[in-house]
Amino acid sequence: MFSPITPAHYLFVGIVLFVTGMICLLTKRNIIAILIGVELILNAANINFIAFSSPVLFPKRVPPLVLDGQIFVLFVMILAAAEAAVALAIALHFYSRFGTVDVDQGDELKG
Amino acid sequence: MSSLSLVPQLLLIAWMLPLASFVFIFLTGSFLDRRGRASGFIATAAIAGSFLLSVVAAALWFGYYPLDSNHQASSHPIRPLSGDWYTLAEFGSIKLALGYYIDALTLAMYVMVSFIATLIHIYSFGYMHEELHEVNDPQVILGDGTTLRRPGRFARFFQYLSLFGFSMLGLVIANNLLMTFVFWELVGICSYFLIGFYVERSSATSAGNKAFIVNRVGDFGMVLGLAALLTSCGTLHFDHYQTTNGAHYAGLFFYAKAIQHPASELEPAEGSRSEDSQSNPETPPVTLSGPKGLTYGLLVLAGLALLCGCLGKSAQFPLHVWLPDAMEGPTPVSALIHAATMVAAGVYLVGRIYPLLTPEVLIVVAVIGTITLFMAATIALTATDIKKVLAYSTISQLGYMMLGLGTGGWVAGLFHLFTHAFFKALLFLGSGSVIHACGTNEMPQMGGLLRKMPWTAITMLIGCLAIAGAGIPLWAGFSGYHSKDAILAQVYLFHTTNRFLGWIYYLALVSAALTAFYMFRLWFLTFIGQPRNEHIFGHAHESPKSMTVPLVVLAFFAVVAGWSVPGTHWSLSALLEQARVTPLLENSQVPLFGNVVIPHEHESHEAQIHQLVSLEAFTAGILGFAIAVVFYGARWLDPAKVCQRFFGLYRFLLNKWYFDELYSRLFVRPVTWVASVAAWIDRAVIDWTVDHAAVAVRSLAHLDDWLDRILVDGAVNRLAAAIYGMGEWFRQWQTGRIRNYILWIVVGLVSLFILGSIYFGLGMHLVVGAS
Amino acid sequence: MVAGLVFLSIVVFLPAFGALVLMFFPSHAERAIRRTTLGVTLVVFLLTLRLVLPGLHAASQNPLEQVLHDVRFAAGEPGYQHAYAVPWISSFHIDYFLGVDGISLPLVLLTSFLSVLAAAASWSVTKHVKAYSILFLLLETGMLGVFLALDFFLFYVFWEVMLLPMYFLIGVWGGPRREYAAIKFFLFTLVGSVLMLIAILLLYFASDVRQLPENARRESFLSQEVMVKSLAPSEKPLHTFNLIALAKLGQMPDSPFQEPVLGGKSVAWWAFLLLLIGFLIKVPAVPVHTWLPDAHVEAPTPISMILAGILLKMGGYGIIRICYPICPQGGYELAWFVCLLGIVSMVYGALAAMAQQDFKRLVAYSSVSHMGYVVLGLGAWSLMPGLYDPQYWKMGMNGAMFQMIAHGISSAGMFFVVGVLYDRVHHRDLNQFGGIFGRMPVYTALSIVIFFAALGLPGLCGFVGEILVIFAAFSYSRALAVIGASVMVLTAGYILWTIRRVYLGAEYRGPHAEALSPLTTREFLIAATLSVAAVVFGVYPQAIFRYMAPSVNRTIDELAEWMKREANLHAASGHISHPSDLESGQTEDLLSHRDAPSQ
Repeated sequence: MFSPITPAHYLFVGIVLFVTGMICLLTKRNIIAILIGVELILNAANINFIAFSSPVLFPKRVPPLVLDGQIFVLFVMILAAAEAAVALAIALHFYSRFGTVDVDQGDELKG
Repeated sequence: MSSLSLVPQLLLIAWMLPLASFVFIFLTGSFLDRRGRASGFIATAAIAGSFLLSVVAAALWFGYYPLDSNHQASSHPIRPLSGDWYTLAEFGSIKLALGYYIDALTLAMYVMVSFIATLIHIYSFGYMHEELHEVNDPQVILGDGTTLRRPGRFARFFQYLSLFGFSMLGLVIANNLLMTFVFWELVGICSYFLIGFYVERSSATSAGNKAFIVNRVGDFGMVLGLAALLTSCGTLHFDHYQTTNGAHYAGLFFYAKAIQHPASELEPAEGSRSEDSQSNPETPPVTLSGPKGLTYGLLVLAGLALLCGCLGKSAQFPLHVWLPDAMEGPTPVSALIHAATMVAAGVYLVGRIYPLLTPEVLIVVAVIGTITLFMAATIALTATDIKKVLAYSTISQLGYMMLGLGTGGWVAGLFHLFTHAFFKALLFLGSGSVIHACGTNEMPQMGGLLRKMPWTAITMLIGCLAIAGAGIPLWAGFSGYHSKDAILAQVYLFHTTNRFLGWIYYLALVSAALTAFYMFRLWFLTFIGQPRNEHIFGHAHESPKSMTVPLVVLAFFAVVAGWSVPGTHWSLSALLEQARVTPLLENSQVPLFGNVVIPHEHESHEAQIHQLVSLEAFTAGILGFAIAVVFYGARWLDPAKVCQRFFGLYRFLLNKWYFDELYSRLFVRPVTWVASVAAWIDRAVIDWTVDHAAVAVRSLAHLDDWLDRILVDGAVNRLAAAIYGMGEWFRQWQTGRIRNYILWIVVGLVSLFILGSIYFGLGMHLVVGAS
Repeated sequence: MVAGLVFLSIVVFLPAFGALVLMFFPSHAERAIRRTTLGVTLVVFLLTLRLVLPGLHAASQNPLEQVLHDVRFAAGEPGYQHAYAVPWISSFHIDYFLGVDGISLPLVLLTSFLSVLAAAASWSVTKHVKAYSILFLLLETGMLGVFLALDFFLFYVFWEVMLLPMYFLIGVWGGPRREYAAIKFFLFTLVGSVLMLIAILLLYFASDVRQLPENARRESFLSQEVMVKSLAPSEKPLHTFNLIALAKLGQMPDSPFQEPVLGGKSVAWWAFLLLLIGFLIKVPAVPVHTWLPDAHVEAPTPISMILAGILLKMGGYGIIRICYPICPQGGYELAWFVCLLGIVSMVYGALAAMAQQDFKRLVAYSSVSHMGYVVLGLGAWSLMPGLYDPQYWKMGMNGAMFQMIAHGISSAGMFFVVGVLYDRVHHRDLNQFGGIFGRMPVYTALSIVIFFAALGLPGLCGFVGEILVIFAAFSYSRALAVIGASVMVLTAGYILWTIRRVYLGAEYRGPHAEALSPLTTREFLIAATLSVAAVVFGVYPQAIFRYMAPSVNRTIDELAEWMKREANLHAASGHISHPSDLESGQTEDLLSHRDAPSQ
């Protein structure tokens, strides 16, 4: 009845997350929403990392369990946190400069 | 030989003295003018020094080669001294140099030229004294109606005289034709300066121009003659010469002698060569220079071409027109240059190059001489300007000389040159004295001057007698008697041998009568009868000593120049006899004219010829004198009526046979017309072409510019516009919104992925493999 | 050897250096600028004068004296002196190659001499003195370079270098129609330059140094680099711009220039024609002379002096230095053409001069006429048919060269004389002068000397050249000599008429009579120097012949040698191109006969 959870399932979740994040990125003008979209894409990537490090995919490997993907994910999360901090700082500055969080208003460099 | 070797040096110094004087006066002229007559003294001292030196040189020469009647048989044969002083240029065997060629003729000319020049220098002190201070020239009316006042030009006058002395002596001593030509031109330029001495007078300057240009026409021929001889013989030297590398080459006389017949070979015959070296034992072995292209025909042409120059200088028909106009110059100049020396240079040159002249050329000389002497004598009949009468008389007498030379009378022709120099200088100086006293040249304004100026009148009478050839037939007479009779005798001989040219003799005889007539007409009009202009007569006075002394000296020589020194054979004609040369083909049939023979001169000395000719000439002279007495002396007949009677002829003579008009129509106007055509061609054809070529190029440039803008620029601009439009179109994708870019990245990636999957099965395999 | 090159380079480039120095002068310091210009030209003149002065002690301890001794010009030597080549553009074998011989030496001296006088005459120029002086000095560099360059390319460069300053000097400092005149001058000369360039390239690509025998290569003063290259075996031809090598190539048997290129004519024929037209424009010969009157009339006085005195000589120099030695075949076949142009120029120029109303135009046309003598003298291949006796040709060529120097002096003098009057009364209408004699006697005396020099009066410089040319022409063609001699009459006509209209007469008929002041000292010195030069060269022509004749004679001997060989060659092959060939058998006889006694 239920087949076991395979990496494909994880990948599917990752795709859903990625697409969601991408749509968020493409449709939102709110800088916060864009940041959220970016976070979603990062997390989609994380899920992919984890899915591909599943031992099911490498039956002949010795030892069977290697935590490469997980470690990458930890790095990514740390980076995401740092990125979020910087990005939020930009967002705050943006807001204090333009009085809005709409990125389209910040077009001063546009030729 | 040592005394002879001194002769060239003496003559060199004699030649250089006037040059030194010229240079000195030229450089210090304005300074000397403030010092009064200083320049005159310098010039006179120089020319007198030349005279003394040439007398010494002549003494040395004739001491070495005495004037024996039988000099041919004397111990040493007479050889001219020849050598080069100064090389102008040298090309192989061709040598262009200045040097000396000295024989009795050279020495006689040297003495005569420097002697007459000295006298005329002295005369000029008196005649030109006006030039010492400011001069008022009444002949020049300025634009504001006043007459011209100008500073005097005493120094300038003597400067030119010195230059002339130098040039004339150089011409006489020349040992090659190029040197002759050089000094030929220089005497011409002196003549130009002195004719135009009164530069303010338009008539004087135009006469100067006319003289020089007509002479140049003659020189044009002369240059061609020089070129012909140079290119065929490779030399212009009369005698042997030596190049700087020491080689000896033969001169022109040698080549001419080598040609005895047109059929002869190009190379001179062996005989003539050996004869030459025999007669001149000291002559170094002769090397023939240059290509021997000299043929008889070329020699004839060269002779005629050289003759052109002589005709110009000696004012012979048809180049005689300049001499009467040349009387615009001061009278001493007319006496020295245009009577005694320079105009005789043409005759002198014919005498000098006599060995080069073929009978054909001599006949031309004789015919031209005859035409000239008759024509000039007729014109002199009607002239009223005292100097013009003398000028035409000069032309006529030069014609006699040419006639004498042309008929084979070398000594006769040159003898007349010398005697003429004395009496014509005398006549001119006398006329100068008259003009000085009267202030006019017009004889109708004079008359009765005998009482006022006896010295002038008597000396001029002597001159008239001399030129008319007065003398007691078969015994002795004035100088002109001897020389003219010698010429007429030779002409008579010529006409007996060449009957078809007999008219020459009769024309010469008629002209002898005319000569006597117009000379006494001059004398009577001037000195005899009632004064026709009381004002002029009242002011007339005898000239100062400086002017009358030369007159007396010249009168003396005009009387005695034909005589031999009492008790000896020494005479001018004996002197010339020593230097006598024979023409080519004397006494033999002429190749080109057939039956013409140039008789030997000695044959004319025969007594029967002399008697006949003497009497005929005497009759002619008496006839002319008688007519003059009838018309002007005793005034039995009124000349004006005769003029009315023969008005056509009178007008013809008065207008000098219309030569000036003829030449103006024939040459002057066509040349100026052609000149203006040439200038017009330059402007209207060549410049037009150039300018219009420029215009055409400019129009082409405009066309090109238009094409450039329409086609080339059009294409380029359109291409640029297309690229610009493309850019505009692309620009709309550049929104600046990161969302849009990401969207396109995603769309692109997805489409790549899809395409990749479809064509390469990429990813599908992964998906499929995973499942 | 190098000392000579350095010395000549100093001579050539000193004026240019002077121009550089002048750039740093303030433009209002006109006095200083003029004096500096005069000083520079004077130094150049003294340097060139060093060439003809006798040598100092050869074995001097002082190195300066040693060098000064080394750079003298040995008179009587026919060959090139101080000739030394340094590679300049190696890939095309273009050398920096200067040298002097008897043909160029008098012209170099004339250039430096007239430059001094023209610089002294430049006081009358008051507009933009600084720029004027700079251009003037550049012009002098160009002119000296043309006469000293022995590399064809270098020659061409100097030729063009001289062109531009001239254009500006006429175009900026000229009279009312200066722009027209300057452009006309520039275009005419440029056409000539282009034709010359074509000929240069024709010859360059036909040349091959390797074909020359080795000693000929050495005699050509090839640079070390080319010499080494020429010794190395190779299939590729070694082209050259070396004028001496080109001449040797042109005169050798089976010359590479005898290859037909176009219309059945050889390289030599075409190159000769192109070069000839290029040079004749400069001379100038009728019908390419019309730039000259305009340029002269508009140019300021000193520039007219330079133009007539020196620039025109470049044409004649080019013909004798380049046309004949390099392309003897062309010269032989086109001798009639050269003579024709020469004689036409003589007659036409004299006639046109006679009809002028403008004093300066008259002098300009007299230049055309006088330069016609040069062309005629150069063209008259007076080798009489069948007789290879080149002494008449030598006479003609020497006469032509002498005429160039003489005309340099007399025409510069005439233009100066005209300029003196123009500076005073500001017009040049011949009908509005007269009576100058009374007002300016010294000036008139000097003018008359100069005019009579142009007339060809014996004792002045014009005579020697003219008479030699006419003599030489007679041996080539009698008809030519008859026409040439008749020009003497025309010349006398227009010059005497001019003297009469300008100097003689009772009173001055034009405007500004009050301005007719006597000559200033500066003007007197210029005119007197030229008059003295006219007299000196007239009575002592050996002063020039001494240096010139050996080189001219050598050139002619080489060409005569060439002709003799050619004629024999044609006779041997049965090909007859000239009447002389018919008699070549007789030729040999006469030759041997003529040579015999002189040994």
